[in-house]
This record gives sequence, C-alpha cells and structure tokens, in this order.
Amino acid sequence: MKAWLNGIGWQTPAGPGPSGSDLVQPLIGGRLEIPTRKQIFASADKRFGRLDDFSRVGLAAAAFCLRDAGAEEYQETRSIGIVAASRYGCLATDVAYLETMLVDGGKLASPNLFAYTLANSFLGEVALRFGLGGNSLVINQQDSSRLAAVHFALEELAPSGQSGMLAGICDLPGPDPADSNDKPGAVFLLLAKEPGATKCYGCLETTPTGLSLAGERVSSLAQLLERCLTQQA
Amino acid sequence: MNSPVVLAKSVAVTALGSDLEGLWQGLLAGRSGIAALDRFACDNYISDLGGCIAGLAATSDSLFQALLGRVAAQLGPLPRDCRLLVASTKGEVDLLQQHRGELRPELLFENLLATIAARLGLADRGMNINAACASSTVAVARGAALIASGQAEAVLVFAADVLSEFVFSGFSALQALSAQPCRPFDRQRNGLNLGEAGVALLLLSEERARREALPPLATVSGWGVANDAFHVTAPARDGRGLIRACQQALQQAELHPEQIAAVNAHGTATVYNDAMELTAFATVFNGRIPPLHGIKGSIGHCLGAAGGVEIAIGARSLREQRIPGTVGCETPEELAGDAVSSSTQVIAGDYLLCSNSGFGGINGVVILGRGAL
Repeated sequence: MKAWLNGIGWQTPAGPGPSGSDLVQPLIGGRLEIPTRKQIFASADKRFGRLDDFSRVGLAAAAFCLRDAGAEEYQETRSIGIVAASRYGCLATDVAYLETMLVDGGKLASPNLFAYTLANSFLGEVALRFGLGGNSLVINQQDSSRLAAVHFALEELAPSGQSGMLAGICDLPGPDPADSNDKPGAVFLLLAKEPGATKCYGCLETTPTGLSLAGERVSSLAQLLERCLTQQA
Repeated sequence: MNSPVVLAKSVAVTALGSDLEGLWQGLLAGRSGIAALDRFACDNYISDLGGCIAGLAATSDSLFQALLGRVAAQLGPLPRDCRLLVASTKGEVDLLQQHRGELRPELLFENLLATIAARLGLADRGMNINAACASSTVAVARGAALIASGQAEAVLVFAADVLSEFVFSGFSALQALSAQPCRPFDRQRNGLNLGEAGVALLLLSEERARREALPPLATVSGWGVANDAFHVTAPARDGRGLIRACQQALQQAELHPEQIAAVNAHGTATVYNDAMELTAFATVFNGRIPPLHGIKGSIGHCLGAAGGVEIAIGARSLREQRIPGTVGCETPEELAGDAVSSSTQVIAGDYLLCSNSGFGGINGVVILGRGAL
C-alpha cells in the first residue's frame, strides 16, 4: 500500500505550520494556542465563531495542509476523505456542554456546544469549507507512534475510489497538566494516489518492516514530519 | 479480484428484546419499544420518550459495560485473530455525568477498547470509529474492505451507544426530539425518539467462513461512504452525499439499481433527514424506489449502533424475503410513492441496501446479498 505525500500542515504548541518553519518537527509539549479566524482564513467565515476549540485546531491544521499542497481551492466536491486519530476526542467540549446541562435541570443545555460533542463534527467543518466529499471519521486507539490515521488512510486509499485522504491527529491538551508526554495539537498530511503538481514529499509506503517515506523507514509521526521538513529545507 | 465477504454472526440487544430474534418478531408484529423514560427526569426536555433496554440501568457498572456484557453473552467463541472495530459515538458518557465532568481514565476510548477486547476474548484491541450516526455502517464498510482486499480474514464490528441524559438533553436543545412516538417517512413527522443498542457483526472471508463452518447470514456485496460537504448538523437537501455513497456501493457490488430488492433506510423521522433520503433514493433508483422501511419507530435512534442493528435486520429480511413495516408511518411522504408501508412487505430479489447519515455530513451505505455465495 502506498500513496504520495503531497502536503503537511499543523497547529501545535510550535505554532502554525509549515510556512516559514525552521523547526525540527512540530510535535512538542507546551501551551497550545487556539487559532483565530484571521490566523487561518484571509476572508470572513460566518461559522467560525461557533466552533469549539477542538474544531478550530483541527480545521487550522487541515487548512494549512491543503494550502501547503496547493490544494486549497476547488470548483467541485472532491473525492478526498479525512481520517483523524484522537486520544481525547472532544472530551473538553463534552465537559463544557455538561456544565450547561447540569444547570437548572437541563433547561440551559447549549445546542451549539452539543453539535460539537461528536468528535467527527470538525471533519464536517473541514469538508464543507474545502469540498471534501470522501469518507470522514475520527478513530480512537492506543498508538504511541501517532501514525494510526496514516496507516488507516493507506489501507483505505488503494481499494477505494477516493483520490486522496487527509490523515492526521487532533487533540487538545490532556487533563493532566503535569503530563510531560502530552503533545497536543493537530497535524494533517495529504496522501494521494498521484504525486502533487505543486508539492510532493515523496512516496509513503507500507512495507513488511513498517512505514517508509521515499524508501527510508519512519517509525513515528514526529519522525515523518522531521523528514518532510529536512527535505523542504 | 476482491474476496467475497460474509456476515457470519449477528447479535443485537435493543428496546425490542434481548436478542435479534425478539427484535425481528417485534418488528414483524409492529411493536414499539418506545415508552416514557424513567432513567432520568425529563421535565425540562421537549420529550419524555425513548427506547430503553429493559433492566439495563439496574446494573452497577456503566450502561455501556452492561450492554457489552449482554452482547458478549450471546456471541459465543470468536476467531482469535479477529480484528476489532468498535463503533460508538459516546462510549461511557454516562460516567462523565455521574462524576460531574471529572475526566477519568475510563472515559478514554483506548481504555474502553481494552475492556471490550478482553470481554470478547480478542487479542486485537482494535479501534473505535466515530462517524456519528453512520459509525457502525462505516465500520462494516471498513471491515468488509479489509477482508475483500485480503488484509484480514475476520473482523468483528461491535457497536453500542446508550440512551444517556447527556445526549437526550442535546437533541432536546436542538429541538430534534418528538414528544410523540416518532413517525419515519410520514407526512406529519416532527422529530426523532432516541434509543439504545448493542450489536455485534462477525465478518469473514468466504474461505474463512467455510473453515469455521459458519454458514453465511448474508454477503456484504458493496459499500460506499461519502460526505455531503454541506453542513455540520443538517443534511444536504438534494441528498448529494447519500447519492454518491449509494452509487459507490452499487459500483462496488457490480449491480444496477433495479437489482436492489429493498432498502433499510436511516429514517430518523426528522423533517429534513427523511426528505433528504427520499430525494436521494428517487435519484439513485430513477424515480422508482424499491420497498423501503425504517425501524426507528420501533426501537428509536440508536446513534452509532443504528446501522449495525439495521444491517442485522437487513440480512434477516433478505433471507425471509420480507421487510417489516415502518412503525409510525401512517401517511407516507408523496415522494415515497408506494415504497413505504406500515405493514410487512414481501420483497423479491437478492440484494438489500442499508443506509445511514449523520452529523458532520457523513453518509454510509452497505449492500447485502442473500446468504448463499
């Protein structure tokens, strides 16, 4: 199974990327800034104010990835899917919604927050803004490499009619502020059946020994991003 | 050449019974498991109706764990090398409310997956798929694709969602609940009733099914998944995503629309969902929608588990060549023509299409074939 890696994008404690980045790789600990509309889109976006933080971070990373790939603009809905792996999902939004629900016996439960208590809601936000009409789902599983969504996309792309998939991760900070392993944020990669006309970081392939980019083995998402940034530099 | 995919086992626990047989008989009899809720106070919500599983709240663990136990008890031994795909939108969300928002480890799906795998005796801890109300349909599509492409021989889809105040209050706040028993595809429909379900579907390659001596309940002949790319909570009125998902599934199954004998539709009984589905099916089937039914008037909307239950019922419908009536549908929408009925309909053919749609604009379709390969 293989696909071309045509774009990368992120919103992490390292900031937004990859434009102008001199990072080794962006998956680091620290404070995650929630992006504003102006930091993502140049023009007005009527729905942006409604989005929860989880959606804003995920939407930003997806937008930056498509921009990096030169695939932001579209005329017709595209057969591109989205798969995001998440450890905590929209748990922070669940708690925020629950707080509105517990007041006054449910009378003040927020319909807007409730709409984002599904972890896949932000994928709908991405899909409608960029015309992505393929599969879209969030997956949860134990995975220290953070490559689960990349593997999923590689498995799914070959036998499906989709031309590409955005694959990545999305997580807000975990509940334990002292957890040094917590590296919040969102990262997306654009994987496609054809190499990109604007940019291509190489062929990503599942081999008997694991995942490889341009023939070199990669064992984690951080390492994969590091390879891409080295290549870009 | 893709390997044929077989549905080899199915188990479901719903408001209409503790097993699939009870559900099937209940559907044929036109019964409804929707009743006044006593699990939590509904005074401040726009409805007090739901499809709860009898006795589920009486156990000490989370509702989800109780549901898992009931499904596991019926499932019997599974191939040890089964890949596990869980489909749940909110998992143990009732625990979040019990602990008033405290973030406990058991709320993480990765921990819940370990519990599910251990309870089912599987080595693979698997993954949870969250595609809103199409979660289990998308999981079946994924499992079938893994088997068809030779990446797996056996996949267990376990889907479950419970009727929690968390979710109930949200649908109430969205004004999406009906205060009366819901009426899928009826002209007077005005919203949904929530339900809950646990369901397990064992998918095997044809060869593996032979080796396991498990006769096929149905084949999984085609599947398709597509996003509307239109709105987060509202379906695209022209049904564009569902149309694409149906067309993908038909293409995958190498079928023409007229070969579909029946449809098990999502049929939430909200005004926009049901209209969207009928619009899409009218397009896919060139204006002649085959016999179509929905079961949410009988058991409520079971969220991430809805598609799994409906696929299990679809397999039974194909085998018996009849689809249960759509409880609550007294005067079908004009666009449905004579496709929808409140009575059981006889069908004739080898293929049945199941569809689900959900928040985030997702649409999932699975085409089942009659059991014999």
